[in-house]
Amino acid sequence: MAGSKVKLDVRGLTRRFSPQVTVGPLSFQVMDGEFFSLLGPSGCGKTTTLRCIGGFEILSDGSIELDGQRLDDRPPHRRDVGLVFQNYALFPHLTVFDNIAFGLRLRKVDKVQIGRRVAQMLELVDLPDIAERYPAQLSGGQQQRVAIARSLVLEPSLLLFDEPLSNLDFKLRIQMRYELRDLQRRLGTTAVYVTHDQTEALALSDRIAVLSHGRIEQVGTPSEIYERPATAFVADFIGSSNILTARVCDPGRGAGTLVETEHGLALSIPRVADATGAEVTLLLRPERFRMVADGEGGAAVPNRFTARVRDVTYLGEDLHVRVLVLEKQPLLVSIKNSKGTRAITSGTTIDLAIDPEDVHVLRR
Amino acid sequence: MNHPGPRQYWTMFVGPYGLYLLVFLVLPFVNVALLSVYIHSPTKIAVAEFTSANYAKLFELYYANLFVRTLRLSVVVTLVCVVLGYPLAYVLARSTSRVMALGLFLLIMPLMVSTVIRVFGWVVILGSEGLVNQALRLAGAAGGARLLYTESAVILGLAQQSMPFMVLPIMAAIERIPPSLEEAAQNLGASWGQMFARTIVPLSMPGLVSGTLLVFSVSMSAFITPALMGGRRVRMVGQQIYEEVLTAYDWPGAASLTIVLVVLMLALVSLALWATGRRARLETARR
Repeated sequence: MAGSKVKLDVRGLTRRFSPQVTVGPLSFQVMDGEFFSLLGPSGCGKTTTLRCIGGFEILSDGSIELDGQRLDDRPPHRRDVGLVFQNYALFPHLTVFDNIAFGLRLRKVDKVQIGRRVAQMLELVDLPDIAERYPAQLSGGQQQRVAIARSLVLEPSLLLFDEPLSNLDFKLRIQMRYELRDLQRRLGTTAVYVTHDQTEALALSDRIAVLSHGRIEQVGTPSEIYERPATAFVADFIGSSNILTARVCDPGRGAGTLVETEHGLALSIPRVADATGAEVTLLLRPERFRMVADGEGGAAVPNRFTARVRDVTYLGEDLHVRVLVLEKQPLLVSIKNSKGTRAITSGTTIDLAIDPEDVHVLRR
Repeated sequence: MNHPGPRQYWTMFVGPYGLYLLVFLVLPFVNVALLSVYIHSPTKIAVAEFTSANYAKLFELYYANLFVRTLRLSVVVTLVCVVLGYPLAYVLARSTSRVMALGLFLLIMPLMVSTVIRVFGWVVILGSEGLVNQALRLAGAAGGARLLYTESAVILGLAQQSMPFMVLPIMAAIERIPPSLEEAAQNLGASWGQMFARTIVPLSMPGLVSGTLLVFSVSMSAFITPALMGGRRVRMVGQQIYEEVLTAYDWPGAASLTIVLVVLMLALVSLALWATGRRARLETARR
């Protein structure tokens, strides 16, 4: 697991393609043994950042240090950094064995050693019997594992992943996700992982940096990113969300603040410092709403309101219900599928509530 | 079957050209093969009686030298094209589409000019009163050098003419190599040179083989360029065949030269294709 020593130190990384297209300046630190993800939509600069670390893009400004040593002035082949490519980039003219042995041969490791270490790696990625096959004879998942083995056999001090699972089908992607995390934790290798898939980032990472337009929006653990997003962009990008604009009605004292959304829905929220009349942006996660039974608590339940169902999307485990409150305020609500949820159909009304603690106020 | 299957379409697609080849290549070639074993007659061109004399004649020193020279020059031309063309093909394959289009245009432009005119250009440059010699005289060299009618001149002319046939297939092969393979090799510790030798070279081998075969065949059968730039001194098989047909009227002699040339080239081409085909089959094998 992540240690307390800084492994990778990126300071003010900037890559200018043109005055309009610039990545950075970005700064972040990755701890020893940490699984760190760069997450963002396409074009946000995550792959460029990874390629700068690998040495395939030249920094316009800033610096990168690995283990306290300057990394960015070294050529790509002298960086001791393993890179797993999106398309695996296996050498089609070499067998699996020769692919994995590629780096060892360049390092003039002797034959017996190479044989032993390649066999070990194939064992590690659970592919013991394919050494003599060519990449074209392997499935996507197998190619992926060979690519990982080819990087790992060199015992790099840092492992980079460029959307390595995006070419696999859904089931395999989930399975490889678990294998990748197990492997990384077992070996304790520090990893920087680029993805646009938020579920993947949440599932794999110790920490995530969310990028947008070449800048870091927020760095944090998966739960920090999800529960306490720093910006509306992060809130919107990670998971599904209701982002509402509201005005402070009563700042309150000890307990909560009372606000009213632009569509007139009154909500109590955790206390904020803003004065009456100030505008705040709220994040309400769909799964934090709950259905309230008719007979329950009455006025004692905070943030209780009646909503009219617009439509229901059946997702198996959950139902995604789009509702309208006070005929004006749209909300997306996620409800666990159960016996009682069968009655929810378009046009019916349901009673909903959300705990004031579950309303997150976004920083401006 | 009411609708045509793939087989019928193949017949439709390949049939016309197949017929064309049969009538205008295969049948004449059979005729040439027959001629090569007929007896030469100064009056009737050939007498339809079998003989091996036309082939026996080729063992004379003159003809042996002719074949050795043709082979040697073709090999050198091919090597020159590989050495100059390979880096060019790599740069073109990895450049932006605009640069590539311009490069291809410049590369192919010589092919848009007739061989005779192109060779005439070389004569203007290399002749005894040509640009190079005039420059040499201005620089103080007395008399100037003989540049035309040398093996070097023939190599120069043939290499220029064949360059597109070397560059295009190699370029096409390199274009198909994902740039990520180059990065992967460097990431695993290969310097740029090691990366080139271990990924680009083996993976572009089919293109290199095609280019080599094309340039080699074009050079082996070259006729105008060696005739005009090599003269009598640097004679190649093509010119010899031409003279035996049109000047000496020895059609059986020309036919035997032709057959040996064709068999020699077929043998070399098959060998090269067999050697590379084995590898390719292994690499693209699917489960």
